[in-house]
Amino acid sequence: MTMIMAEPAARQEVDPAPAPVDEDVLVRQARHGDLEAYDELVRRYQERIYATVYHMTSNHEDANDLAQESFIKAFEALKTFKGGSSFYTWLYRIAVNKTINFLKQRKNRVHLSLNDLDFNAEHDPDLVALISDKTPRRDAGLAELQEKLNTALLKLSEPHRLVVVLHDVQGLSHDEIAKIMNCNIGTVRSRLFYARQQLQGYLSDYLKTA
Amino acid sequence: MNESQENFEALRQLLALKRHEVPPHGYFNDFSGQVIARIRAGGASPEAASRERLFDQVPWLLRILQIIEGKPVFVGSFATALCVLLLGGVVYSEYSEGSAGEPMTHMAQMINMAAPLAAASPMLPTATPAGAGLTTNFNPNLQPVASLFGEQSALAQPVSISIPGN
Repeated sequence: MTMIMAEPAARQEVDPAPAPVDEDVLVRQARHGDLEAYDELVRRYQERIYATVYHMTSNHEDANDLAQESFIKAFEALKTFKGGSSFYTWLYRIAVNKTINFLKQRKNRVHLSLNDLDFNAEHDPDLVALISDKTPRRDAGLAELQEKLNTALLKLSEPHRLVVVLHDVQGLSHDEIAKIMNCNIGTVRSRLFYARQQLQGYLSDYLKTA
Repeated sequence: MNESQENFEALRQLLALKRHEVPPHGYFNDFSGQVIARIRAGGASPEAASRERLFDQVPWLLRILQIIEGKPVFVGSFATALCVLLLGGVVYSEYSEGSAGEPMTHMAQMINMAAPLAAASPMLPTATPAGAGLTTNFNPNLQPVASLFGEQSALAQPVSISIPGN
């Protein structure tokens, strides 16, 4: 009796959380219309997809709509997903294409609707050092810096902005970006270099060494 | 080069600020639920879905819209030129109608041009062989004719046209 009672408790200690379901299995189930499986896929990637769209648009409401529509379109197009790339890359491509199409239509109607900075921003050692040591405008608050940064990003063309967002903000590799953007790595590198140069020019006041 | 690299490093540090931009607290709690609800309800909003479907079927329409939105000055000047052309055409046509002389001269010319055909046709009214040119004989006695709409003022005037034979 004691053994029977003890066994589940011991198992709980060893294996407290259920093993995550393999992505391929979830994709297969979702393809057959299993919305619970797709819900799990959405939960896995919602933050990254939202973040990418948000950093491209600098507008929370637009990012919300586009991220949701990207997931909906992906679900509708799951039958065409052949598995040549990972689901993650394929989903990213849908979101990126949707966002770029949206931005082309929205051109000249830019409206910033920025998210708040989290508490950690004030304590980020890189940012603290950048603001207190290197920036001539030491009185520039984080909010002002955030707005300047977003405005500068919006001046870049969509492909250049996308490369910067995916690499410097989201930390994706050149190879992953090349797959998402359907171009070669050399193109990614050259776009990244050009975009950084452009940003450097736009943000020169905040990047000059003291 | 080193300076450039250093500046890029500073830029990367600055770009790290973007990572701290987060949506409202609890935003992602309901995100997947909203997506699933929209899928159950039939996908994207009807307007967005129909617009997207239209652009998928007619991709050149999207390109035209992009050009229009991207080059408003060009499109505006093109539209202005088109309007000027249209107005010019209207003014020119009115001017040419007004300055071309009497309307009867035009009609006479047209009838003269049609004379050979008229002579060849047995169905046309009697032609006066001796007539040189065109004569239009108006009957001074105007006869009221019952109009289809019952208007008493409608008058009909028989006209006899003499066309010289060959």
